[in-house]
Amino acid sequence: MSSSRVEQGRSAEERAALFEAPDDSDAINRLYRERRWGDGLPIVPPTVERVGRMLAHTRRPPGDIVARVAPGFGAATVERIAINSVMAGCDPEALPAVIAAIEAADAAQFNLQGIQATTNSVAVWVIINGPAARQLGVNGTFNCLGQGTWANATIGRAVRLVLQNCGGALPGEMDRATHGQPGKYTFCCTENEEANPWEPLHVERGFPRDSSTATVVGAEGTMNMNTHAKDAPQLLRAFAETLQHPPSNEYTHGGEPWLILSPEHAEILKSAGLTKAEVKRQLWELSKMPARRMTDKDLMRVHDSRSKELGTIGPDTLLPISPRPEDIWIVVAGGPGTHSVYVPCFGNSRAVTREIADKK
Amino acid sequence: MTVCSTAFLTLGRAQAKALGNPALPIAVIAHPFGLRKRNEVRELAEQCVRDIVKLVSEGKA
Repeated sequence: MSSSRVEQGRSAEERAALFEAPDDSDAINRLYRERRWGDGLPIVPPTVERVGRMLAHTRRPPGDIVARVAPGFGAATVERIAINSVMAGCDPEALPAVIAAIEAADAAQFNLQGIQATTNSVAVWVIINGPAARQLGVNGTFNCLGQGTWANATIGRAVRLVLQNCGGALPGEMDRATHGQPGKYTFCCTENEEANPWEPLHVERGFPRDSSTATVVGAEGTMNMNTHAKDAPQLLRAFAETLQHPPSNEYTHGGEPWLILSPEHAEILKSAGLTKAEVKRQLWELSKMPARRMTDKDLMRVHDSRSKELGTIGPDTLLPISPRPEDIWIVVAGGPGTHSVYVPCFGNSRAVTREIADKK
Repeated sequence: MTVCSTAFLTLGRAQAKALGNPALPIAVIAHPFGLRKRNEVRELAEQCVRDIVKLVSEGKA
């Protein structure tokens, strides 16, 4: 074959354009590089055949618009999501998970406009729960936020490519991130549901245990918390002190902090008789931060953002990290080890979960 | 019309175009201004007000 037919979505049209390209992955990648259709890594050419194999895993018509992706508001059709998923290297079976993640990111409370266009480093973290996580091979154990698992790497990458290519969020143009972060290449995992002593995330968020979901979180990054504490109060104190940091969007705006507890740390808390709700309540209390730790300028921003919630804010005010204890979210993931992770969030965003509903 | 700093002008222009209003008048303030003194910020604000009035009176807004 001297040439392959390659598809690429265009913002001015609902239907993906079709063009001829040489049957040479180097040449195709040069083209994608020149046109800024990628993320800086080589892509898998989205040939008609590959996109067709991907589309076979959804009942939704190719032209269905899943989202109008901020800030450019290009249409993320099922077909375009499939194209970007091929580019990312996804297994075809993963398409419904990517569609669910894009649906979730489009919800108003996620504030995709802010997340895509901000100077902040925020990335979109995708958490897959339920049977689909196992079927797709999403990793929630060893190195679940690191390299080495195809599903984690490619599902997260596909979401990023849709956000960039349909939303027009090109770095330096509509994506105004000062630095960005590595999680903007890919950021996806599942929970370690077998090792979770409490209910899994999707059940806590109102979905049946046997359903599969994609949850999106506006995540500023990851902060490792290595503590050998074996005592629940000391463990919670160590976590709470990690949450406290003055130049924080969460303390400034009233955030939605996420913790990824290792199974060992979760078991210590569970063995102490703590429910997840009680862990959240204690973390919320222990992580209150004296407002005087903020700089003067940042304290003015806190006042602008949170005075309706907290009343008059002075240097002695104890700032809670989030408006309510239940705004703290906890997932259990990772392998053996004394490490948990704090995922600071964008502040003006709330996570959204959507069911992965259209598996065949 | 809208107001933004130079750091966000590319975003503003692209988003105005995406939303079907490519000619949207935008009054622009030089970025950054967070480190400027209060009197300098006032000057910037007064200039911006003049720019807004000009854009509005020219019928572009």
